[in-house]
Amino acid sequence: MTTPATTESRPAERRVIIRTVGMKKIYQRGMETTHALRGVDVEIYTGEFIVVMGPSGSGKSTFFNMIGALDSPSEGRTFIDEVDVAQLTAEELAFLRCRKIGYIFQSYNLIQYMTALENVTTPMAFGGVSPDEARSRGMELLELVGLKERWFHRPIEMSGGQQQRVAIARALANQPAILLCDEPTANLDHKTGDEILDILQRLNQERGVTIICATHDHRMMNICDRLMWIRDGAIERIANRNEVEVELASID
Amino acid sequence: MKTIDVQPQPILSLKRIFAIALSGVKYRLFRAVVTVAVITVAMAFLMNILTESLIKKAVANSARDQIANLHRVDQWIARLSVPQTGEQIIAGLAQADPADPYVAELAGMSGKTPDDLASLQATARSAQEYLQFFQDMNYGRRRVLVGRAESARIFDHLQDPGAYDKFTANLSHMKTLRFPTEADAFQAFLAEWPTLRDWMGTVRDGQAKAIEQIKKSLGNQPLVEALRNADGDFGETLRQAGFALGTEEAASLSREVKRLDNMLLIESTINNPELRQAVAAKQDILPGDVSVALIWDLIDRSHGAAWYVDEMNKAGLDTEKLDPAFIRDLAGDYAHAQLLKYAERQTLDTGGGLMGIGARMTWLALVSMLVCAVGIANAMLMSVTERFREIATLKCLGALDGFIMTVFLIEAGILGIVGGIAGTLIGLVLAILRMALGFQSLLVQSFPALDLVKAGLISILLGMILAAIAAVYPSFRAARLAPMEAMRIE
Ligand SMILES: Nc1ncnc2c1ncn2[C@@H]1O[C@H](COP(=O)(O)OP(=O)(O)O)[C@@H](O)[C@H]1O
Ligand SMILES: [Mg+2]
Repeated sequence: MTTPATTESRPAERRVIIRTVGMKKIYQRGMETTHALRGVDVEIYTGEFIVVMGPSGSGKSTFFNMIGALDSPSEGRTFIDEVDVAQLTAEELAFLRCRKIGYIFQSYNLIQYMTALENVTTPMAFGGVSPDEARSRGMELLELVGLKERWFHRPIEMSGGQQQRVAIARALANQPAILLCDEPTANLDHKTGDEILDILQRLNQERGVTIICATHDHRMMNICDRLMWIRDGAIERIANRNEVEVELASID
Repeated sequence: MKTIDVQPQPILSLKRIFAIALSGVKYRLFRAVVTVAVITVAMAFLMNILTESLIKKAVANSARDQIANLHRVDQWIARLSVPQTGEQIIAGLAQADPADPYVAELAGMSGKTPDDLASLQATARSAQEYLQFFQDMNYGRRRVLVGRAESARIFDHLQDPGAYDKFTANLSHMKTLRFPTEADAFQAFLAEWPTLRDWMGTVRDGQAKAIEQIKKSLGNQPLVEALRNADGDFGETLRQAGFALGTEEAASLSREVKRLDNMLLIESTINNPELRQAVAAKQDILPGDVSVALIWDLIDRSHGAAWYVDEMNKAGLDTEKLDPAFIRDLAGDYAHAQLLKYAERQTLDTGGGLMGIGARMTWLALVSMLVCAVGIANAMLMSVTERFREIATLKCLGALDGFIMTVFLIEAGILGIVGGIAGTLIGLVLAILRMALGFQSLLVQSFPALDLVKAGLISILLGMILAAIAAVYPSFRAARLAPMEAMRIE
């Protein structure tokens, strides 16, 4: 509970931060139509750590893009902080993406010609942070993800795990209230994956950041609050972690 | 409904955006080099055309007098054989300075003093302007406006009130035509026209009489031969007959005639087998390879002229009129005359069009500009399309559309300016080299440095602007897309 802005104690004051209503996404490619999402209704609360599970191709990334205001649904609505994303102007969207949400992409999406530090400070520049402050804050964030010594490296000179950690530092640049992660550990070895999980858990617990994480990784189950299963573009099940743990225990 | 409390995004400093654009260029150096290469080739092409045209224009301007000199003899022979046409008199009078000897000649031929010609000269200038107007028009339109009348006859035709009304009525329908003056001025001119025409009649009569007089004094002697003495007796005869022939003009005329004479004589020796043999032996080549240029080359060497005259004597040719010192000079002239003839041929087209580079060159320059635009647009389109993913990422991080477009425009501008400078220099150097090979000393005399600098700046600027414009559309399209849509396009 270090960051004052997010000190609400979770169980006491649960506010809905993301809500989707009948969200569908249909991809049309030539003659081929893919129903990537077939009507998803879900509510996500502030300070929550929610894990989205599902086989590959089930629509996790599509869901992630929708609630992150990165793509528009074919049908249905997304509310972020009770604001309908479809109603936002270009400036408001930019503001939202810059200040409210941090994104960690499956494929990192770092800017190849920028150093680690430049990648981290770019969103700060869009957010109006002065270059000097951006630099010191960027270094702090790189320290958080354990890459302080490599601030001048370009993505091409770093391993997948290091790139993923730069991507995390970048996602935290403007102290977002929501962190969206698309398979953050998918391309990493076991040990690095553990480190990443640790970082996410700390963010959630110490800073109260709402984390939505699409993943295959079962280790995630140990640190999340809720789990959501998607199959063929529809929600199969949503459950609290303790319910699931009970089930697992009963299987044993 | 709640709203998101947006704070306006700060505008990043231009320095910052510039740095971002530059690091993007550096990172994709290969792509950037390809784009720059396309721009370079396009601008080199344009600059080459511009440079060649400007040089030709400058050479044409500076060699005009020397080229006119080449035709001096022809002109005098024409003037001494037939009276001038109305159009010639109009053109001559319109262009002449009142103090020009030609004005005095015209006055003398028509029994007036030069001062009397002042008002006629004004009318002649208007006539010249109107003639130009009718001459620039296509035949169909002229036919509608003035029937079958041609050149100065048009003014006679329009003396008729019916024809004049028809002319003004039809002219008002031809919206794209710009008549050089107001209708009033034209009417005033038409009223003056008969005076000018009648006066030209007397001039022509005077010229006919003078020509007759000269013919009589010549007897059987050909006119060309007599002109050798233009700086002597025959010049006096011409002046007495009423032709304005200054002493300088007379001297260069007679020299020119002698030059042509001697040149013809020397050049005709190429048909003489013995001389061919002699030249071939001296040059150590086959007689069949002997050329006029080679003979002149030989004469230009020390003792070459004397040797050649000697050989001509041995071959039994008449060398009485030949003076070795004079033909030695001629050999020097020969190269220069060739050069002038070359320049005349090469620069026929200059005068009109853009910056005076001629209509055909203007057309070529425009086409090449179009080619540049298409090439650059294609290169920029590729380079922006390749980077949709990066654009999408920047948008995910909260970049505004305006920022993305600015980065790309600046980047395109950088590529454009680099390509523009490189292309301009390459085009310039190649064109100068090529022109220098052709025009040689003529180019040195008339090198249009200032015009070339201007053209270079224009073409660099054009490269930059074309590149920026070409980047506007693709980057605008990319910036407007939702981030994930942009990522999918790859
Ligand atoms: N751009 C696209 N065009 C067409 N189909 C797509 C596109 N993106 C994803 N899909 C399809 O939508 C479905 C869901 O994909 P995605 O959300 O990426 O799944 P996940 O992230 O769970 O692996 C898949 O069947 C995929 O083939
Ligand atoms: Mg995915």
